[in-house]
Amino acid sequence: MTIKRRDFLGTVAAGSAIVTMPGFLSGCGVQAATSFGRNAPVNPFMEWFGVDQATVARVMSELTSRGADAADVYFQHSRSNSLTLEDGIVSSANSGIRQGVGLRVVIGEQTGYAFTEDLTLPSMLAAARTAAAIATGTQVVAPQSFNPLAAGDLYTTTVPWADVGVEQKLPVMKFVEAQAKGKDPSIEKVAVYWADGDERVMIATLDGRLVTDNRPMTRLTVVVTAKKGDETQTGYANIAAREEFSWYTEERLHKMVDEAVERTLIQFEAIRPPAGEMPVILAAGASGILLHEAIGHGMEADFNRKGTSIYTDMMGKKVAESFVTVVDQANIPGERGALNYDDEGNVAGRTVMVENGILTSYLHDEISAKQYGIKPTGSGRRQSYKYSPMPRMTCTFMEDGPHTRDEIIAAVDHGIICETYTNGQVQIGAGDFTFYVKNGWLVEKGKITAPIKDVNIIGNGPEALRQITMVANDARLDTGGWTCGKNGQSVPVSQGIPTVLVSNMTVGGENVG
Amino acid sequence: MSADLLRRAQQAVELAKRAGAQEVRATTSNSRDVSFEYRDGALETVKDATSQSLAIQVYVNGRYSSHRTTDLNIERLKDFVSEAIAITKALEPDEFRQITPEELFLDRPDVDLDLVDSAVADLDREQRMEWCQTIDGIATDHARVISATTGVYDGSSQSASVSSNGFSGSSRSTYCWYGANVTLKDQGDKRASGGFYAGSPHIGALPPASEVAGMALERALSRLDSTKGPTVRTTMVVDSRAAGALIGRLLGPANARRVQQGQSYWADLLGERAFSDKLTVIDNPLLKRGFSSRLYDGEGISAKVIPIVEAGVVRNLYVDTYYGRKAGMAPTTGSSSNRIVGTSDKSLAEILGEAGAGVYVTSWLGGNADNTTGDFSLGIRGHMIENGQIGRPVSEMNVTGNLKDLFGRLEMVGNDVYPYSSTLSPTLVFADVNFSGT
Repeated sequence: MTIKRRDFLGTVAAGSAIVTMPGFLSGCGVQAATSFGRNAPVNPFMEWFGVDQATVARVMSELTSRGADAADVYFQHSRSNSLTLEDGIVSSANSGIRQGVGLRVVIGEQTGYAFTEDLTLPSMLAAARTAAAIATGTQVVAPQSFNPLAAGDLYTTTVPWADVGVEQKLPVMKFVEAQAKGKDPSIEKVAVYWADGDERVMIATLDGRLVTDNRPMTRLTVVVTAKKGDETQTGYANIAAREEFSWYTEERLHKMVDEAVERTLIQFEAIRPPAGEMPVILAAGASGILLHEAIGHGMEADFNRKGTSIYTDMMGKKVAESFVTVVDQANIPGERGALNYDDEGNVAGRTVMVENGILTSYLHDEISAKQYGIKPTGSGRRQSYKYSPMPRMTCTFMEDGPHTRDEIIAAVDHGIICETYTNGQVQIGAGDFTFYVKNGWLVEKGKITAPIKDVNIIGNGPEALRQITMVANDARLDTGGWTCGKNGQSVPVSQGIPTVLVSNMTVGGENVG
Repeated sequence: MSADLLRRAQQAVELAKRAGAQEVRATTSNSRDVSFEYRDGALETVKDATSQSLAIQVYVNGRYSSHRTTDLNIERLKDFVSEAIAITKALEPDEFRQITPEELFLDRPDVDLDLVDSAVADLDREQRMEWCQTIDGIATDHARVISATTGVYDGSSQSASVSSNGFSGSSRSTYCWYGANVTLKDQGDKRASGGFYAGSPHIGALPPASEVAGMALERALSRLDSTKGPTVRTTMVVDSRAAGALIGRLLGPANARRVQQGQSYWADLLGERAFSDKLTVIDNPLLKRGFSSRLYDGEGISAKVIPIVEAGVVRNLYVDTYYGRKAGMAPTTGSSSNRIVGTSDKSLAEILGEAGAGVYVTSWLGGNADNTTGDFSLGIRGHMIENGQIGRPVSEMNVTGNLKDLFGRLEMVGNDVYPYSSTLSPTLVFADVNFSGT
């Protein structure tokens, strides 16, 4: 009781002070609360993270106390959920909550970085001082408040994943399992894996921007194991998007199940192709993995500003036939790789990397854009508040060309066509890249013949670009759940391509004489 | 600190019990990680991170789920726990989901794994900068160098676990790594690159920074002027550093989960002479200063040395409690620790001499393997072996085959274990391997 009374007395005293001395208070750095607290609605992101304009300004001021060319305060809260169906029951769930704030200060090409998961002011200030330690200069002018930019609308949902209960997801998983099981008597096991998540991001920058973004994500995977005689084969399919629950229509689920079952059963007949160099047709869709590995990574400007990419000296040069145009585009609604703003608070739009065969633009974050004297392309991404951003891809694809799929197949005398993939990799400096083909077909005398499986294909980026001799008019993005890893950071991406012919690549195979 | 972590884990167990869990296991952890990256004469990135998290596994009415959070605010933790219980109740019951039984964690070994070096916490900016400058000076000392990035990474982590049926344990470890990646001007627009890093829980156990820098530059120089090799069936010599990844692929499906799910070519191999008698792999969690040493695994099962393959005979698989129960297999451990691959007394030079001709693989590029069938295809970089010597560098090639079949043709193992990995393997030699190139 005593304590309460003291609080009450204190409140009265403080309240009277506010009434009598408003000018003094606003001069004390509370003016942000006045101007925003009264005139603008409370920013729901600020409210979520338990901060206000003044707090963020205080942290920014500490972060830039030893000088800065650029700086940002990156708040992130993410929640993820996953469910596992194996052997007919959904008997495992997993959830994760990650919340923290990343503090970054940039001077030239130097970066100081720290983060904290404790969003109290003392903890954020301590992290800011740690990040600032890389600098040796004097305080720069930090904004007193941050100007909220308009929210993007590429993946607005009506029901956040946090409000979708397990009881809604279970029937979808059961439906997928039942559909897959019923497709063929050889199917012994079906597993279904569900994942969804919501992510809240709020970025305050030294130049006074305040960017907020709600990022939903979901992925559904079905794994099929079939047995014929002594032989067992496993195959899978998945679909992923920045969408909400209603995205899982029966039609979409049927298509995924059909793909998984087909990919599994065809392996009983599939062979290894002969080893060595041959023409390789890449079927429309997931074959966009070629672009991701052969050119995309090499076009990320951090490698080029350091001179370590094979594409460093190729800007403005002809690198492919005139019908080859390669784009990285974040503003495609609902796609897994879509982004309203990148993780430096820049609008993530469309970057044409190769236009009509000419190398036209790298993918830039703010550090590289400043060095090249251009505007950032909105390609600065990070896995989470624990990491500093760097140039990354979003949705990478090739635009339609002048040929048709039939013309391309007819043009190959002895080669392969590749349809599904599990992974790829690239060496930035040498330009050598690979992708692993899970399913494909032999192409003999202009006709698709025997199914093939499990071969790695290896090529060299610039050489493979030059050797794209035909491009069809059937471009599409793959809806698979691709994740790109670079320097220990993973981000979701999309990829796509029309049917193309690469006249020569090295195909893994057996039966070498 | 570990007392504090244990107390918080105990608190989380009690919270979950009060919220309706019959059994619960809670793990709290925190870590500090510092990284310095230095490029071409200047400090480029400094990162200093402290992180914390709480994970709980709950068992409610025969149902199971697991949850993790970095938000340790006590009020929000209560919401987190009650939501975890609610999610669990919405699942389907599964008789095989049970908390790790007491008999699996009672006889925990009481040995000092020597995983903590108190000097790591005392590392200062000056020491890290001195290493950076030493390494950078040597790694960039060649006319072909375009760029070199030096890294110094150090830190510590600790965790504590408590379960409602009596498990209690904590662990702590430190690490320090340094090294560099070097990029060199090569033919045309091509860049050759290579790198080398050394690490240990103990700073004193690291090789000198200058030596590591020399190795990084040497690795990059060995990649200059590489060309595509031939399509050929020949001997494959895998160097000890690259061998760890191949052993990792071999063992990928050697576990109860894959076997029970029908996705493992190891399914019928237990007790069988499945591989060449040159192959021995022992899982040893009790190795002093090992990168994956531990006294108990993620489920709390007491650590013990587990032979996986002895002279080609499959002795054990990795078996966790859940899939073990489902598959009718006694639990060993669900996750690998330090994997010790058998050696011989042969040096690399002797091995190359005996092989005469073939391909010496120094690193992999992409590729994959099918866990169900063992079929694999991997991109490689390395050298041709000519007259028993390391010859011209080759790249842009694939090696293709079947893992079970490949390790049936393991002909020799070396004496030269690569130490900076939790898979400790020597050089491996395989006969009759399919390479695709020109």
